[in-house]
Order: sequence, then structure tokens, then C-alpha cells
Amino acid sequence: MITYAYYPGCVAQESGKELDNATKFIAGRLGINLIPMPEASCCGGGVIDGFDKNLKLFINGRTLALAEKEGLDIMTICNTCTLTLSEVNEELINNPESLEKTNEYLAKIGLKYTGKVKVKHILYAVRDDIGFDKLKEKAVKSLKGIKIAPFYGCHILRPSSAVKFDDVENPQGFEELIKALGGEPVSYARRTKCCGFQTILVNESTSTSLAGNAIYEAQEKNADAMVTPCPLCHLSLDTYQTVAAKNINKKLSLPILHVPQLIGIALGADYAEMGFSRHNVSLRGLMAKVRQNDI
Amino acid sequence: MEFKVRAYRFNPETDEKPYYKEYTVEDYPGMTVLNALIKIKSELDGTLSFRRSCRSAICGSCAMKINGITKLACKTQVSLEIDKFGIINVEPLANMPVIRDLIVDQEVFFDKIKAIKPYLLGQREDDAHNRFKTLKEGEKISQPVYDKSEFKNLTGNEDTPNCILCECCYSECGGVVGNKDYLGPAALAKLYRYAEDPRDNDKNGSRLVNGSMPNGFWDCVHCQACEQFCPKGISPVKSIVRLHEKSIKNSITFSPGSKHVVSIARSIGETGRLDEIKVAFESGGVTGLLNDLPVAFGAGLKGKIPPLRLKLIKDMEDIRLAYKELDLEDKL
Repeated sequence: MITYAYYPGCVAQESGKELDNATKFIAGRLGINLIPMPEASCCGGGVIDGFDKNLKLFINGRTLALAEKEGLDIMTICNTCTLTLSEVNEELINNPESLEKTNEYLAKIGLKYTGKVKVKHILYAVRDDIGFDKLKEKAVKSLKGIKIAPFYGCHILRPSSAVKFDDVENPQGFEELIKALGGEPVSYARRTKCCGFQTILVNESTSTSLAGNAIYEAQEKNADAMVTPCPLCHLSLDTYQTVAAKNINKKLSLPILHVPQLIGIALGADYAEMGFSRHNVSLRGLMAKVRQNDI
Repeated sequence: MEFKVRAYRFNPETDEKPYYKEYTVEDYPGMTVLNALIKIKSELDGTLSFRRSCRSAICGSCAMKINGITKLACKTQVSLEIDKFGIINVEPLANMPVIRDLIVDQEVFFDKIKAIKPYLLGQREDDAHNRFKTLKEGEKISQPVYDKSEFKNLTGNEDTPNCILCECCYSECGGVVGNKDYLGPAALAKLYRYAEDPRDNDKNGSRLVNGSMPNGFWDCVHCQACEQFCPKGISPVKSIVRLHEKSIKNSITFSPGSKHVVSIARSIGETGRLDEIKVAFESGGVTGLLNDLPVAFGAGLKGKIPPLRLKLIKDMEDIRLAYKELDLEDKL
């Protein structure tokens, strides 16, 4: 059994609760021990350094120090949390001045950070620490005949100076996961582009046109569903899909899955266990196809 | 070794729509994509059009999409691309209209550079400046500005003054893809460079105020593509974030983008968490809330509503201390 300090991030504990539940479901099935971090704070949503760059270092340095105290690596389920924690980790490891300043603050709350923690997103934790072979062994349903569009988004890939899971120009981790589950990855240009979430409350038109065009391109390539490693992308792609369709003046109806939900349905989870009723776009059609695919 | 180059072709005077043409080229050690294109033009097809000049990654002319990613053709090795993609697929820069083949119309890009006033504003009338007026011929010029930390921050090898205006960042920018009027990373990095320059005499903060308007630095989508794909190692997105920080520290917070960031900081300072409902309300105000009502209603019907009152994280006093240590309490 592999153990991580579990950092779900804010959205997966609030509007995206289905992601947290699906993560816990697959962790149980795959033998991943998730240690909760009730003291951990929000990472700052990818924008906190626009308020104060040292605040980003302090609050995320604290999260890293909490995991280091337990001797654990951190597992994330959100792209933006992954990037923020990884950026701060790189900064603290490579910049002695930043580490000293952060540790002065941490000392006052009884913590210290030395740079030992690794931050892993669940997509790559499953690939590297569990292995796709074990995943195949545990799967009870195949995704055979199902075309799935992987939507990487930004912060799990860029900048590659901070997040180093995959080849930033031609990532394959997602495609390998889909193939391991028996599905067919859809190749499309916008798989590594932006969902626009960061400006959804600031400039909705920019945001939804990015999400809408990615969904439209995947639909045009006959995708049955799209999968995202990030609950923020999920909000843009699923919750705002109706708005996006109106904005780009196209008909959109593509179910959007979280990564743990994709793994979950292969491990035999049902509609309720994956919280599919909370999605804007129905997954009933997709689940009907999966139900026929016993291994 | 032979390899294939698949080039985007379009001559608006003769072609109804763009098409791709394949060429077979013989490789040699160290061959760049630009070398390959020059070989095609001189030996196989003189009509293939592309910009080029220095061949040394300093003029920025040969920026183009190579296997889907914007790069300088003169800095890109054929062998590495072939190893990864098996082909050299070349297309013109994105976010700008095509004039012919791999050549785009750069006017919009340079209009945006001009829009941020890429020159020092006004004239300082302090003692240091007045000394220049009394200089004698041949006298050594001492510019105290070079010792200022803000200036030193701008002169690193990977900092904004090293921008070669190649448009790689602009071509990859998610913000421009979503909104063609967005100023884009190169112009905004330049805005930061002038906003930080201690010689600039921007008395009323006009750079930060103008940059906070719609299509300015709050419209960045934080996709990180500008940093990732800059051939000179510059990070425009980090400059943009510094502009955010500088605006908030100077209380220039009229834009929804700044309200959004302050609201997130406030939410973390109060609960340790990101309060989705409060942040949505504080970012867009009543208009934003009304606009988002159909989405919120739809999500509510599915049970996808965040809790109205968030539980504080454990040891919340640690977070409060971080704000106190950084003197941020009065900025919330």
C-alpha cells in the first residue's frame, strides 16, 4: 500500500465534491492510503502571487512542511494546486533566500521545511506509483469502443520548469491511461490548451470561448466523452458548457469526466458512486455503453 | 537520412483555401528547421514563402508553428523534431492573419506594443536628472539608476528587456485566442518593464490604470504558454502577475480581475479556504451575479452548490500569522 498526504484543494471539497468522492473510491480499490490534511490551506487558486508573492510562499510552504513532518509526499487532484505547490517547492529548493524567509515564518508555527516533499497529481501517481498493469488487473469494466478526449489543460504541463510529469510538447500520460482502460484516446489539437477558467469571473466571453472550442473540436472528432485532471477545467467544460455553446454558437453536448471517475467506472463504480448526477451534461449514454463491457 | 517537411501553403491571390505540401529533404548533422526551409526554397520550390534573417535566434523573424508549437525555426533542430514527431510540420504563427504561406500580418501585434507606450514617460526633474544638463564634453556619465534594485531586476539574462518581439508568446497565448483585443504577453511584459523603470516619470500611475482596463493585464488566462514557449527564456506571465501585485499594492483595484484576486486573498485570510460563492459575488458584483444566475441555478438543481458557510481549516491562526507577518491585513 502506498501512502500520500492528500491535498484535494478547495473546489473538490466544495462544488466539485464528486471528484473528492471518486478519488476516495478509487484509492480504496487501488490500495492508496490517503492521509487527510485538515490543517492545509487553499493554495491561492493560481492567482495569490498577484496579491503578494511572499504570501504564496508562506501558505504553500506551510502545506509542504505539514507533509514533510509526516514524512509523506503530497497527492493532488487539481492542476492549479499541483502547479502552485510545485512552483513553491522549486522556489524553496532552489532559492536559499526564499527558503530562509519561509522557514522564519514556519518556525513561529512550529514547522520547518527542508525540500523533501514531492508533489504528485493523481494521474501521474497512478502511472508511476501504482502502474497501469495493476490498474488493468483491478478493472472489471472495459472502455472498449469508447472514444475519450483527454483534456490536459495548462497547469499539469506548464511551465515544465515546475511541473515535470510529462513531455510538455507531446504529453502521453493521459493517452496511456485511456488505452490501459481499453478506451480509444481522441487526438485533437486543443488537448493541451487552456480551458479559460482563470478569467471565468472576469471575462466570461474569453473563458467560455476557449472551453467551447475545445469541446467542439473533440465532438467533431467523434469523442464520446472528455476527461480532465482538474476540477477548475471541469467547471469551465461541464458547468459552463451551455454558456460556452451559446457563446461560440455551436451545439455542444459532451459529457466531461474527472480522471478518478474515468478510473472509477473501469473499477466498477456505479452512477451514484461517481456522483454523475451532479454533472451538467448527462453521462447516462456513456454509462449504458460501459455497462455492456464486462471484462 | 531523408525526412518529410509538410508545409502550410496559402496564396490569397491564387488559392481558394489553404493546403499542405510535402517535401522530402536530406538531413545533415546540426540541421535546423530554417536550414531545411532554405534548402526547400533554393532547391525544390522557390515559391515557399517565410520570413528569416539572422539565423542566430536574435532577430525573431523565423517564428512559426513547428509540429503544433510556436518556435524559432533557426533554433529548432530537425533531428529532435523527427525523433519526437517523425515529420516537420510547419504552419504560420497563430492569432494573426496570414499574408502568404508562413508569413503573417504583424500589424495588430505591433499596434498592441505601441498601445502600452514603450518609452519613458515625461522627464524627471530631480537632482540626478538635472546633473545631465551640466555635463561637460567628455565627462564621465554616472547614472545612479543602474544601482537601483528595480532596474537590476530588469537586466537579468532572462528578463523582459531581452524580448526580441518574435511573437512566439503571442501566437501561443490563450488570452488572445479567446479575445483578439487582449494586449497579449509581449506588450504586457513590456508594460511591466516600463512600469518598473525608475527613470519613468509616470506621476499618476497611468500605466497601471490603463493596463487595468478591459483587454489589459487582468485578462491573462494564466495558461503559462508564454513562459513555456519563449525562445529567450522570458516569463511574460510572471511580469503580468507582478503588474497585478503592483496595482493592488497601489490600491488600483477598480477592475473585476483585481477584485477577484483580493477576494481570494480575503477568503483565505478569513477561512483558510477559497469561498466559491463569496469570490463569485465579490469579483463580478451584482451584475456578475445576475449574469451567472442561470449557471448557478442549473448547478444548484444538480446539487452542485458549494456550502454557504465554510468550516475554518484546522490551526487557522497559522494563516492569520502569515498575513500579519507580511503586513497584509490592511490590504484585505
